[in-house]
Amino acid sequence: MEISTLIFSITIFPGLLFMVSLAFLTQYLVRKLSARYQRRMGPSYVGPFGLLQPLFDFLKLLRVKEIVKTKYSMIRAAEFSLILGIAFIISSTILLPLSPYNVAGEFDILVFFYMTSIMPIFMLIIAALTTPNPYTNIGVSRLLSVLTIAEPAYFASLVVPVYLATRGKTPFMSISNTYIYVPNLWLQASTLVIMLLSTLAYIISVQVKAMFPPFNIPEAEQEIIAGFETEFSGPILALARLLHDLDLTIALIVGVYVLLGGPAPFRHFSVNGAIVLIIKYTILLLAVVTVKNIMGRYRIEQALTQIFKYGLIPALLSSIFALVIYH
Amino acid sequence: MVYGCYSMKNTVILSPYEVVYVTTLVTGFIVLLLIAIYYALRSRRIRNTSVYLSGEPESVVSLITPSIASLYWGFIKKFAKSLYKVLVERVHTGSLHDWYKFLSSWFSLLLIIAIIAFILTSLIG
Repeated sequence: MEISTLIFSITIFPGLLFMVSLAFLTQYLVRKLSARYQRRMGPSYVGPFGLLQPLFDFLKLLRVKEIVKTKYSMIRAAEFSLILGIAFIISSTILLPLSPYNVAGEFDILVFFYMTSIMPIFMLIIAALTTPNPYTNIGVSRLLSVLTIAEPAYFASLVVPVYLATRGKTPFMSISNTYIYVPNLWLQASTLVIMLLSTLAYIISVQVKAMFPPFNIPEAEQEIIAGFETEFSGPILALARLLHDLDLTIALIVGVYVLLGGPAPFRHFSVNGAIVLIIKYTILLLAVVTVKNIMGRYRIEQALTQIFKYGLIPALLSSIFALVIYH
Repeated sequence: MVYGCYSMKNTVILSPYEVVYVTTLVTGFIVLLLIAIYYALRSRRIRNTSVYLSGEPESVVSLITPSIASLYWGFIKKFAKSLYKVLVERVHTGSLHDWYKFLSSWFSLLLIIAIIAFILTSLIG
């Protein structure tokens, strides 16, 4: 394939432009759906149906608002780490079958996990610690506590379906190869239970990664001001918000491919396939937003127990079942 | 059975190492692109202020970040409760006698181990 296709893939679709637009749309849907759950209007005035409100908020933070710094702040380090986190998420899209220049290889799910789950959170934590504050430190310690349990659950919820779908196939443990065989996993009785357990673990761990209620204790507003975001302002806050939205967006996209089979039962790059992808993405987002709006915030020890019960244990059970049945 | 009809004609299959190299290069390219866009667009206004402490002065926190000792004791208290209990209830009771008893028991153990090691090395050569 040509280098121009690669450049198009990483800058336009599904790279920078598409991912940032989808992240803004996702933020809009989260705000709008949450508002409707709470009998509010939500974003309504900027653009048709308020669609451009997230873009407007981002540009206002980036271009108009000032950076508020203290004598302890390391602004450049915060900016660079957030940009690096965003870059990792955007460049990971070439590992998705959605890309016109799709790179695949054995165990590419591990590279994908490293780029979309470990590095963005790591960069967010570094950015928070470069603008120190007691509230920031509490927020970061809480974030690390919940992620210690949620990340293994997220990892297992993705790796188990990839393992089952690509067993005996080439390339093994590849996302590009997985979505083709995922529908079969839902249709077989032996793997249906495993897929249900993986989906439950996935929903809970995405809720934690997005820091949505009931797991929003790391940025518990009112209690610890804004947690790890307390000292973020202006352009840095814009980058942090964008990184957060991209993190949720890429988690939902990989969920659509690995757990729900991507465009199945239709072909990729077809109108029907695109519609199915949008529907599956919206279903996952709706599940996450619904949990966000029907639950109250847990205290840190309650959150850890619930993530363990409903995230880690289903993920471990699905891993054990997969190994017992197929190894 | 493969459900539906699929093709992988837009997929480049590489070795795991090559996948890492390609994704790293792409990340580097995106970082440069984002830095260029960010510094072209961002607000240049900077305001210096004190650390936000809900209106309290900076003196209410002696250190801006937790000390290493606080992190260590916080960790021990949370994750090694039985050890923390022993340390608080038997060692750091405020009584010098308790502290001496605890330390002498450990020193006695170390002394016994040292004597055994000395005897063994003398016998074995």
